[in-house]
Amino acid sequence: MATVLEVKELSKKYPKKTKFAAEKVSFTVEEGEIFALIGPNGAGKTTTIRMISTLINPTEGDALVAGHSIIKEPDKVRENITYLPDEAGAYKTMKGIDYLNFMAGLFAKDKETLDKYVERGKAICGLGDRLNEKIGGYSRGMIRKLLLARAVMTSPKLAIMDEATSGLDVINALEIRKMIKTLAKEQNMAFLLSSHNMLEIEYVSDRVGIIADGHLMVVGTIDELKEKYEAANLEEVFERVVKNHEIR
Amino acid sequence: MKFGNLLKKELRELITFQAMIGMVFTMVLLIVMGQIMGGAMEEGFDTSTITLCNKDTSAFTEDVLTTIQESGHTTINFVDIQSEDYAAEMERLDLKNVVIIPEGFGDSVTVEKKPAQIQVVSQMQNGGFAGTMSTVSATDIISVIQDVCMDEVLLENYGLTEADIELIRDPLELVEYTTLNGKTSKVSVMELTAITMMQSMIAPFAIFFLLMMASQMIMTAISTEKIDKTLETLLSAPVSRLSVLGAKMVAAVISALLNAAFMIVGFVFYMLGMVGGAVEDITASAMAETTNLPIDASALESVTSLPQAMAELGLTLTPMSYVLFAVQLFLTLAIGLAISLILGAMATDIKSVQTLTMPIMIAVMIPFFITMFVDINEMTGVFKLIAYAIPFTHTYTALTNLMNGEMMLFWGGLAYQLVFFVVCMFLAVKVFTTDKLFTMSVNFDAGMKKRGKKAVEE
Repeated sequence: MATVLEVKELSKKYPKKTKFAAEKVSFTVEEGEIFALIGPNGAGKTTTIRMISTLINPTEGDALVAGHSIIKEPDKVRENITYLPDEAGAYKTMKGIDYLNFMAGLFAKDKETLDKYVERGKAICGLGDRLNEKIGGYSRGMIRKLLLARAVMTSPKLAIMDEATSGLDVINALEIRKMIKTLAKEQNMAFLLSSHNMLEIEYVSDRVGIIADGHLMVVGTIDELKEKYEAANLEEVFERVVKNHEIR
Repeated sequence: MKFGNLLKKELRELITFQAMIGMVFTMVLLIVMGQIMGGAMEEGFDTSTITLCNKDTSAFTEDVLTTIQESGHTTINFVDIQSEDYAAEMERLDLKNVVIIPEGFGDSVTVEKKPAQIQVVSQMQNGGFAGTMSTVSATDIISVIQDVCMDEVLLENYGLTEADIELIRDPLELVEYTTLNGKTSKVSVMELTAITMMQSMIAPFAIFFLLMMASQMIMTAISTEKIDKTLETLLSAPVSRLSVLGAKMVAAVISALLNAAFMIVGFVFYMLGMVGGAVEDITASAMAETTNLPIDASALESVTSLPQAMAELGLTLTPMSYVLFAVQLFLTLAIGLAISLILGAMATDIKSVQTLTMPIMIAVMIPFFITMFVDINEMTGVFKLIAYAIPFTHTYTALTNLMNGEMMLFWGGLAYQLVFFVVCMFLAVKVFTTDKLFTMSVNFDAGMKKRGKKAVEE
């Protein structure tokens, strides 16, 4: 399997701050793999994700997406990723279908590809005729489904999702988790997820990285981590790593 | 293709059906207001009909009233005021004003040879400006009667001829000259002032609205995208940040121009309606004619020469002047947008957007009001420096400077604006192409006591 994302000692220090928000974070994500970055609030998850998404510049280190450096070739990186921020909205005055068309237009190089992306988006979001309504009238769940469809319709090499299911009811959240797993398995798409929901992470991800105080403490599969920490579930591992800084 | 896609999206966000309704509504409102105000002003100054109650039976009074009626200029509407409870009588006869000629009016002038008493009862109008304008002053009403009385007295008491009276009434032949910047023209300064006042009001009004609209639009566009996190989605897509920035600025300019066009059409019609003229004919001579209200009827004589006089005095702009003004207007808009972009990027919520619009509002409003009341070029000391330091001031004064041939002031202002724009645009691009777009914010918490920057991090 080819490596889609290679994060190499990525660090970020914000101006007028003494501490690094993320310091020397390193991990890899392979093709078709679902990698979850978990950690408490303020641990450095979003900072790391934003650096990989080329939204903010790293202070030190680098990351390669499909072989392209986020520092030297951010344009190339953006062609290979999609990013779904936590609690993101969509343009309320647009119709759902127009939103898919608009976003597809930013990725597609020709009309044929654009139509293909939009068709895929329509099928994935499952909103049917509601796509012809303005987004302003959508429920939170509908918006999230639309945004998720937008994030995967272009079949990016790496889809980055910050709290993919936040604010969704159980049924909607389940649908989305299943969708992520299916896309990774069937289309070989790589996912970089961030979440607070340990159950979700246990269900959906292949490997996990636990981040605390800006440092990536441990990385491994769920089973590896549970075995290493002799824990019954991921929550226990998380508590021991984050609270007690117990590194094995 | 991508820029077109972005621009289309921005325009669809800004020029919505609701926004168009708002623009049309504002324009219609201004036109209707102008018509209402104009109607009220005309009604207020109208002396073509006098409502009159005559209680005097003397031949003198009869002569005066007959002369007025035969003149063809004024119609007398005779009423019968039966008591001194004027409020009740005005109510009963549904009158706004009435002139009462008391018994003995004629004898007082012809026999006793002393000023005769005449009464005017006017109803005070409530309801704002329109009501105030339709409240007629006693002087306006009795001026017609007074003139005829004077003629009658001079004819009968002093045996003068009509030619003598004509000379007494109008002993001077007024020939007015107006000078401006070393040029002279045979024209009334009042008429020129009326026209230039209208011009000098429309231009700042247009600049003011153009700036406010464009600034608020781009500030809202940026801040909403930032708050809704659609900006993060957009900027992680394969488009350059500069094209996102450019699309927003171009869309804001187009939208602002559209808004301003509706607003200016409305305002022009409002002004024409106010001065009571025909709105179809917006030529210089028509404007001159419409500005001549009945109170200044003597000025009508030189109306036809007004456009020529304006050309003689250099009050008309050459095509090159219009081009220069357009360049300056564009630069002004660009400065406003660049500043708004930086301010919009600082917003963390809708409340902070409203607060962040304040600096730009103040910078636009200060020169707007100053130019309405004083000539900035004539100001002195620190006030002049402050006024000139505001980049928008130079746009408000540009037309006057171009008209008056103050080219040093014009070019100086343009150069200052250019430097200001380069600095603002450099900062805006820096904000938009670096981390600052996501990390920069202004905290207005705790009643703005603790103001500071905070990095958004997790």
